[in-house]
Amino acid sequence: MYNRKIRGPLIEGNKTLGQITEDVINPMDVSPGMWWFLAFGLASAAAVFGAYCIYITVYKGIGTWGVNNSVAWGWAIVNFVWWIGIGHAGTAFSIFLLILRQRWRTSINRAAEAMTVFAVISAALFPALHMGRIWLAFYIFPYPNTRGPLWVNFNSPLFWDFTAITAYLLISVSFWYLGMLPDLATIRDKTISKIRKTLYGFFSLGWTGSSRHWIRYESLSFVLGGIAAVLVVSVHSIVATDFAVGIEPGWHSTIFPPFFVVGAIFSGFAMVMTLMVIIRKVYKLTDYITDNHMDAIARILIFISLIMGTAYLTEVFVAWYSGNEYEMFTFFRNRITGDYKIQFWGMVVCNALIPQLFWFKKMRRNWMGLLFVSLSINVGMWLERFNIVITSLTKDFLPSNWVSYTPTVIDIGVFAGTVGLFGVGVLLFMRYIPMMAISELKGVAHIGSKIED
Amino acid sequence: MARSFKIGIFDEEEKFLSSLRSLNEQEFMIYDVFTPYPIHEVFHLLKRRSRLPTAAYFFGLFAIVATLAFLYYTSVIDWPIVYGGKPFNSFPSFIVVTIILTILTVTILSLALFSARSKLFPGRDNTIFDRRATNDKFVIVIDADDRDMTKAGKAGSLMKDQGAIEVLDKEFESINE
Repeated sequence: MYNRKIRGPLIEGNKTLGQITEDVINPMDVSPGMWWFLAFGLASAAAVFGAYCIYITVYKGIGTWGVNNSVAWGWAIVNFVWWIGIGHAGTAFSIFLLILRQRWRTSINRAAEAMTVFAVISAALFPALHMGRIWLAFYIFPYPNTRGPLWVNFNSPLFWDFTAITAYLLISVSFWYLGMLPDLATIRDKTISKIRKTLYGFFSLGWTGSSRHWIRYESLSFVLGGIAAVLVVSVHSIVATDFAVGIEPGWHSTIFPPFFVVGAIFSGFAMVMTLMVIIRKVYKLTDYITDNHMDAIARILIFISLIMGTAYLTEVFVAWYSGNEYEMFTFFRNRITGDYKIQFWGMVVCNALIPQLFWFKKMRRNWMGLLFVSLSINVGMWLERFNIVITSLTKDFLPSNWVSYTPTVIDIGVFAGTVGLFGVGVLLFMRYIPMMAISELKGVAHIGSKIED
Repeated sequence: MARSFKIGIFDEEEKFLSSLRSLNEQEFMIYDVFTPYPIHEVFHLLKRRSRLPTAAYFFGLFAIVATLAFLYYTSVIDWPIVYGGKPFNSFPSFIVVTIILTILTVTILSLALFSARSKLFPGRDNTIFDRRATNDKFVIVIDADDRDMTKAGKAGSLMKDQGAIEVLDKEFESINE
């Protein structure tokens, strides 16, 4: 059971139900302030530049990217895996913690799920563009066609990946929307603006808060949560199989699926933390996203960081222990030392060492500390994907295949564009959708507060 | 025909629940209750239960069979191709697609079932007995049709005694529920 004496109340300030509604809806009513428009302008500018780079990519072909015959997967796949990893936060947060009945998730899950949706959209752009002829992307759907009918290869991890990501996007969107229904109805019933009443009335689908609605809503949440938990694990395992079934040294490893899943949850939680530090600072929601919440995320991050460190060590150890000269070369001459050592050590420092700062309570309670560590994890996770994708491809079995890899402006532009897209999405979310699940907050408002004892 | 209701409005969960308990014991016609968040005791008192998990189980079963049948049809019957020397019906590598499509199918069908059973869909205009129920009030709605006016009156005074902040009489031309 929840121990108030140790953990403190879930929501501080003894809020009444009405106050909770007010506090969460308030940011949507008042003008968001200069910073919002500034950030929105910046994010849209990045998104527009990204759109231009995508236009160039589609118009001229992926020859405009830094990829070549040996390094066929460049930044695009690095970014794809990075975004998908971040996209694991929402589901990890709302679903794992829902099943484990960790009720502190309630103040954070809505924002985490929003992040998921935008991150997965950003991620899905890359493989689509990487196909080269994006207008033929529909070939990957298994539909009866006039080419045989020739079906897609159901044995290929690349097809599994397509299935998994499509399913993941659809399911995260529906889970997010389902959770929003009661809150949209709250806004519909509270607002005085006619436009809002109509809009939120339409999107709340006629929710009334009746006991018949609630019971079905609860059981549906648990059913969806239960099965989507499997999906969280499988999506990134499949991304890992994309690599692991290849024969490239450094990829061909059984550790990949669990290693990737843990890495994904790591980067996702780090991104949630980054976002939460900003939201609670800007919107002054410290009563809802308390220091204890940040503390809990920080503790999870230390734990995952230790797993990541162990995985890095295991990879290097197995390369040595296997005695395979190609594996040895990849890890000892091309990662730990060699052209890409900065990226390798950057990854180790950012992912395995810096998060250890969270052992100190001062770091877990200081917003600068939280922001610093979470950002460095995001950078570290990007470097990890860079390491995996690029180092293995630049120097494989034949020295005559060895090349170096540098991204082009277009590569960087598309990436900047997805960051912009993510930013625009998150900013619009902060403005037009209640940032926290109001009805769930009300359900936990009394837990650990003075009223209970 | 217009239907009339006795509506009790509470601002505290405890008072609302104790009132609901007594109404339930004395077998008043509780039409429905509206709350800002789910309360499990309400489900027990009103004997609400959901068979959605059972339905979801059968959706899953259907999805597994359908997906495997589809994969078998495309890979073995319709256009068999040898990939990497594996048999046409390479079951182990079909598992992944089957899992994912099962999850997707269960999600979509359960959502559709939820939408149909709860009558929640775009443009739906369900009757709102009291607008405050989605914000901070707990609302009990008692059926008060003509024959039972005295009983409804009793229910009203009972709710008042138990701490309802308001007891209203409302009539609705038609009910969307």
